[in-house]
Amino acid sequence: MIIFKNVSYSYPGGRSVLNGVSLHISPGERVGLIGANGAGKSTLLKAALGLVDADGSITVDGTGLSRNTLPFVRKALGYVLQDSDNQMFMPTVLDDMVFGPMNYGMSRTEAEALADSILSGLGVAHLKHRQNHKISGGEKRMAAIATVLMSTPKAVLMDEPSSSLDPKNRRTLIHTVNSLPIAKLIASHDLDMILDTCDRVLLIGSGQIVADGAARDVLGDKELLEKNGLELPLGMQRCWTGKRG
Amino acid sequence: MSRFNPAGEAGQSLRLVDELAALDSPMHRLAPLPKLLLTVLYVSLTLSFPKYALSGLSVMALFPVFGYQLAGISLLVCFRRLRFILPLVCAVGLFNPFFDRETLFFLGNLPVSGGVISMLTLLLKGVFALTAAFLLIATTPLEGICGALGKLRCPKVMVSLLLLTFRYITVLLDEASLMTEAYSLRAPGQRGVHISAWGSFLGQLLLRSMDRAESLYSSMLLRGFTGELPRSFNSAVSPLSWTAAGICAALMVLSRMYDLPALLGKLLIGG
Repeated sequence: MIIFKNVSYSYPGGRSVLNGVSLHISPGERVGLIGANGAGKSTLLKAALGLVDADGSITVDGTGLSRNTLPFVRKALGYVLQDSDNQMFMPTVLDDMVFGPMNYGMSRTEAEALADSILSGLGVAHLKHRQNHKISGGEKRMAAIATVLMSTPKAVLMDEPSSSLDPKNRRTLIHTVNSLPIAKLIASHDLDMILDTCDRVLLIGSGQIVADGAARDVLGDKELLEKNGLELPLGMQRCWTGKRG
Repeated sequence: MSRFNPAGEAGQSLRLVDELAALDSPMHRLAPLPKLLLTVLYVSLTLSFPKYALSGLSVMALFPVFGYQLAGISLLVCFRRLRFILPLVCAVGLFNPFFDRETLFFLGNLPVSGGVISMLTLLLKGVFALTAAFLLIATTPLEGICGALGKLRCPKVMVSLLLLTFRYITVLLDEASLMTEAYSLRAPGQRGVHISAWGSFLGQLLLRSMDRAESLYSSMLLRGFTGELPRSFNSAVSPLSWTAAGICAALMVLSRMYDLPALLGKLLIGG
């Protein structure tokens, strides 16, 4: 589904963020991307979407990423931004949802019907006509996910999806993410959420993948996590304490 | 929003326009293209009245009054939003009474000079034009207006620029509002931002706004935006919209061609 081969990226100032990253994500796979601040998680997601001009080869659903294939790649990958305020730029949730499909040639009526089904599926049909600046942070995050699903992507990339959510909204988000039947690449510091939503975890440090394995194995490796500026998720801390006791 | 945070207040005003445009009324249901053309016609006709044609011009007040009633929007909302511009409009003809002192008629024993009449005419022209423009944006989403401009073959760059400016200006105001709040929390007792902090404040505001604007633009690009509005925003105009607009346009032209209050006066009292 998503293949990175030796992908590197440096900021214009020269600081290297990604250093020869290679990875492969299969269709339907649920992958967590973890790492300390500045490790390159967001940049990796942006590279997959062609939002940063990275060196190396990136293939999405069998199509190599290039200037000409950007529309295909961006339709195939839904991207949920860290800050929903930056994602929702139209006055109402519905206007935002139909914006993408209409750009891809769908009629307003068809797009509205699709929006209805997606909002109902996510259990947030009441948000349809709400003004974006008047809905809560949790509702905004759900609306942002709904917006992304409008282009019927084959995989969804999420950047810190649980940040600034209260426990109830976070739980709803986890439930929603788990119910999506497509591949997911979730970059987050919320390791408990990663544990709840992902089968596989990639640990990125200094622009390289330093660990790639089953979620429980990577998230249960205290030394590895601490070496990379992270801590055991709360769920695993109990196990760790149990093991030592 | 605090009255010491003008940026936040301005952002709220812009959002209010979006909220008003999302209402449902016969005026809102009128297609954007006829509404835009009607507004342009109204403003052109209003501005074309001669400087002493106060009575003829006064009839033009009916259109915005009727329009606001039909839209279910109070005229007070409009005047409140335009309160910073209206004084400027009023100031345009302020010196006319001093330059044009020729007496046109007497109001009882009081001589009324041409300058006073032309000042009032100018004032009404400005107020009518502004209220009509506000009625257009308060009853039509900006995407609809941009779609109508596209149909009128306006340059795509100009249309996109208008759309993005409106969307990004709220970003700038949001950032300015947040920074003003952060500043005021650490500068209790101060009104506004001290002049010594303006340089860094504006620099930071620009950088932060650019960052957010870039994120927003990325979000648009990821959803297939190519610099042009989707065609579906240029929805077809119903015959009913054209008919309603046609009737209004005919009435406006009639109001411009004939001094209706004078004709009515003649009819009632003879002369």
